[in-house]
Amino acid sequence: MEKQVQKTGFLRKIEKSTLWLLLLLIGLVVVVSIAAPKQFVTLANFQSMGFQLPEFGIMSLGMMICMIAGGIDLSIVGMANLSGIVAAAFMHAVGVDSTAGMAGGICLALVVGMACGAFNGLLIGGLRIPAMLVTLCAQQIFMGLGLVITKGPAIAGLSEAYQVIGNGVVANAIPIALVLFIGVAVVLFFVMKYTVYGQQLYLLGSNPVASRYSGVNNIKVIVKTHMISGLLAAVAGIVISSHYGSAKSDYGSAYTLQTLLICILGGISPVGGKGKLAGVVLAIVIIQVISSAFGILRVDSFLKTFVFGLILIAVMIMQYWAGSGSKKIKTTKEKQIG
Amino acid sequence: MNQQAKTERIKNIFSSNQMIVIYIIAGMLILIAGINPSAFGPATFIDTGRSMLTMLMFALCEMIVIISGGIDVSFPAFATFCMYATTKLMVTAGIDGVLLSFVIAGAMGLGLGLLNGFLVGTCKIPTLIATLGTSSLIHGALLSFVGVNDITNLPPQMDEVGKQYLFQVQTDAGVSSMSIFIILPIVLCVIVWLLLRYTMLGRSIYAIGGDVNSAQRAGFNVKRTQYFIYMFVGVIVGIGGMTYTLLARNANTTQLMGSEMMVIAAVVIGGARITGGHGNVLGTILGVALINIVSNNLIVMGVPTYWQTFLIGLLIIVGVIITSVKAKRVALAPKI
Repeated sequence: MEKQVQKTGFLRKIEKSTLWLLLLLIGLVVVVSIAAPKQFVTLANFQSMGFQLPEFGIMSLGMMICMIAGGIDLSIVGMANLSGIVAAAFMHAVGVDSTAGMAGGICLALVVGMACGAFNGLLIGGLRIPAMLVTLCAQQIFMGLGLVITKGPAIAGLSEAYQVIGNGVVANAIPIALVLFIGVAVVLFFVMKYTVYGQQLYLLGSNPVASRYSGVNNIKVIVKTHMISGLLAAVAGIVISSHYGSAKSDYGSAYTLQTLLICILGGISPVGGKGKLAGVVLAIVIIQVISSAFGILRVDSFLKTFVFGLILIAVMIMQYWAGSGSKKIKTTKEKQIG
Repeated sequence: MNQQAKTERIKNIFSSNQMIVIYIIAGMLILIAGINPSAFGPATFIDTGRSMLTMLMFALCEMIVIISGGIDVSFPAFATFCMYATTKLMVTAGIDGVLLSFVIAGAMGLGLGLLNGFLVGTCKIPTLIATLGTSSLIHGALLSFVGVNDITNLPPQMDEVGKQYLFQVQTDAGVSSMSIFIILPIVLCVIVWLLLRYTMLGRSIYAIGGDVNSAQRAGFNVKRTQYFIYMFVGVIVGIGGMTYTLLARNANTTQLMGSEMMVIAAVVIGGARITGGHGNVLGTILGVALINIVSNNLIVMGVPTYWQTFLIGLLIIVGVIITSVKAKRVALAPKI
């Protein structure tokens, strides 16, 4: 305790786990740069990383707030695809090249995402069904709805203007999607840190009973959380459909595990109430660096599944070991509070 | 007074979870018979029974895990690994034998179950996250280190057993046959029922599902029970996977993946509570039957294929809502 107090300024503000993640990221970048300097340290590589990262990055932020609230959202990919499909279908109905159609499609996608989130939130908060079960079932429903709209094949032939969101760059180098991701992260950072809702979110996650007795409307917070998650999923869905130039109900099925892995790696507690946005953002970059390294080394995608599973389990076991070491301190702390 | 209690009890039986599922099944059957009477006959029951076969084995495993307060999403990966690796091993080594294949697959399942047991029992990782991790790990390992392509040239004995039937029924549409493997889930149902009802181990599964801390203080060994659960589930999942291969007469690396959703739904509709401590074999059988009847007959009822995912999802969520609302009402009701 005393040591921490003595630290001043910048270092004191950064949590220990975030510092570890930063070191891990730097280490990874150095290793990959030495292993494949010609492919990794290039503008083209960093740019392609910037195109891939926002897709699952934005989804991970949605997963993050649901986990902080003590739940989980396994339907993020379903919401993203459904939103993308609705936007694509709307644009086709209005006329592919009309600007108004594009704006309407994007707005409609965001509304669909929020509606899906509200559906999840009402079942979780209102009927008190565990989030895990609700979102697992909801994933099937959202995917099914997407299939009903597309009737199977992808909705292709989206306008050039729409495809700019996922493929365009600003200032000749920075992908628009990356700017979008940074914007979302910054807004979410302020929402979580400086708004009443942000504080309620952490309180609900760490102790729902205490939260209720201190006058927080738990249902409202849960619904809001899942609506934000749905909104973020819709943004990710727009980026994905724009990137591919088409929308389909089974894009990005590997992202569910990836977002969960990112949140766990980023220090979000699976039981809720703990975790910082900075950690998650670092974890997103780490996973992207690993993905890119796999691409450069031409390793097949099956091995990627294996390695991601391995990392998830390894991180959890390490957290268990770290946790069992500091158990004594925790219990005394709990007693003091109690 | 006595009379009142009696009617109360009868009322409870008729409004119990299992009865609700039975009502829905009856309603579905009437609907199917109304739309397409020709599809309604002994053949339908045999086909349903056959398609329930492996799903029921997985559902019983999932039920045990859910009763203990956990959830298992890794069994499709485990089953796929066991069946594919066993088949590959036997084909490349040139050995044959049905019983041997079950022993090998079961042993592999035991090892994989031990992994889950270690993560959940020793490391206390939340079961959903632990099993998502092992699912990705094992399926990734299978695809990158063992193989990707389907194996269709099964050794002769293993190939032959898929064509062994317990009985056959002649109908207008053709011959409907019941595979001898239907014995496996029936035996398993009896074993699981006896285990859960009459052994200390079974009672401890319910106890830790109800409340881990209370169970520990009451003297149950939580860690040992969790290890047992995941290892038992591993063995059954291995055997279930092998059954799937022998029935389909090929080993495939992707077909089972994604089936966890339906199995969990069947168990929950059957009355097991996702929060743990509740659930029984009969309910699970009914839940599996309902899901199978619906998914098998959507085509017969003239529903386009692209509607099926949504409709099954809808059925599942309605089932989950009904059981959850009932559970909530029971929890809030005054206790005497």
